[in-house]
Amino acid sequence: MTDLAEPVIVMEHLVSLTYDEDLPANLVRFGEALIDGRIVGQRCPVCHRVYVPGRGYCPLDVIPLDVEHEVEVADRGVVTGFTIVAPVRYYGQTKTEPFIYASVLLDGASGTLGGQDISGIPPDQVRMGMRVAAVWKPVEERSMEGLSARGWGSVAGAVTSFTPTGEPDVAREHYQEHII
Amino acid sequence: MAGIEVAIVGWAQTPAVRRSVRSEPQLCFDAIQGAIEDAGIDRREIGFTCSGSCDYLTGGPFAFVSNLEAAGAWPPISESHVEMDGAWALYEAWVRLQHGDIDSALVFGSGKSSATSPAELYPQQLDPYYLAPIGLDPVSMAALQARAVLDAGRATERDLAEVAVRSHQNAMNNPNAQLRGELDVEKLLAEDYVCAPLRRHDLPPISDGAAALVLATESKARQLSQHPAFIRGIDHRVEPHQLGMRDLTRSSSTTLAARQAGLGSGKPDVAELSATFSPQELILRDALGLGDDTVVNPSGGPLAANPVMATGLIRIIEAARALTEGNGRHRTALAHATGGQCLQHNLVCLLEVQ
Repeated sequence: MTDLAEPVIVMEHLVSLTYDEDLPANLVRFGEALIDGRIVGQRCPVCHRVYVPGRGYCPLDVIPLDVEHEVEVADRGVVTGFTIVAPVRYYGQTKTEPFIYASVLLDGASGTLGGQDISGIPPDQVRMGMRVAAVWKPVEERSMEGLSARGWGSVAGAVTSFTPTGEPDVAREHYQEHII
Repeated sequence: MAGIEVAIVGWAQTPAVRRSVRSEPQLCFDAIQGAIEDAGIDRREIGFTCSGSCDYLTGGPFAFVSNLEAAGAWPPISESHVEMDGAWALYEAWVRLQHGDIDSALVFGSGKSSATSPAELYPQQLDPYYLAPIGLDPVSMAALQARAVLDAGRATERDLAEVAVRSHQNAMNNPNAQLRGELDVEKLLAEDYVCAPLRRHDLPPISDGAAALVLATESKARQLSQHPAFIRGIDHRVEPHQLGMRDLTRSSSTTLAARQAGLGSGKPDVAELSATFSPQELILRDALGLGDDTVVNPSGGPLAANPVMATGLIRIIEAARALTEGNGRHRTALAHATGGQCLQHNLVCLLEVQ
């Protein structure tokens, strides 16, 4: 046995796991539309909710949804809630300045897109009810990056952030059921 | 086993495939809706839902929550999840049904092993001090177990190959199997080792898939099904995590679980065993005292399809299927599920049709 001068109380064990998967057909179509500058959801024929992106089924009515249920929604909507994140340094954190993590309810969609950046306005002026529009990447830079079969989807491959449109704020009763 | 009688009244599984483009919730959707349709029950009547899956396998924290969408959670449902094979979700649902206030439950299990490499992922389930840092992978561990079995004189490499031959042959009657066909023992034994003493045929395939079933208490089960498969006993037991702390050539926890579940001297007509590597079938046969009168893994078993986190639940489904679709040839069945490494944790479920 090795006679250690000091007992081992900390050992480094960094874990890295790689996941590689094919996107399901509904997300491939969603991603292709994003690259084309369109945001597409799936409308349930029973409850008429529009899921963005579509999941391939309605989780409330439990029926399959497919290409025939796909509808385009607007690339603009309303901020239903937000957090100002003051980044602390931890492994993997790339941000250094305060940024916004907002939920955006697109016009025509029945649920919010989470984790959206809000640009073109100082963080302390962002507010619930604010009208915003997508800031699209140049066509040649758009991709399916960030799209994954786990979780609830992302527009990050084609939309960098949302920015105020200058329209009047929306009254709370129009989005309050989407406030988490 | 005293208590409320519970039966399996419907089930479905997705065909096991090497790589599915369906998302895990979509696979769950197919299995769950199939099971509900097979049972002939309205999903809103189901009293409890329980699922088994692994977030590490899926690759996302709380990934099981999106799987739940496939069950329909509106109106609100009562549900639970185990980070274990779906067979343990069935165990929890069976316990829940013993409360006596509900008459049905939905159980499902799912996993997509294709997204990651087992050799990279599985060390993360091991203890973080001695085993995980050295990257001990499941094939290497199974090879240690196989070596112990061979060295103890309890089997030969030919015996292992014969397990694979029979599994692949049985799978020819299983539309959900991933590997099937006629294999030749001599040709198998001429192949190189993947990890000595294991060859390719001793290993399970890497599979994506999901399975679901519906449980009902006795009177409900008789309403729903002509041939409900009754759970006559169910139990699970676990052994030490460290491989060096147990005899890898035996499975004492399987023996104990079987005894607690009520397996006596009378042996089941059919046994579906979660023998993920070929030596494990021999270990489990010994642990359960199964002889030639018991048909083992008529589905082909995990060597023919291994959607991790559903593999054990599929054993229960296949055992029930052997009873209800066997034209009365079989009356009793045993299903076995396992978790951990080298048969660490074992569940035994005894089924009967009348």
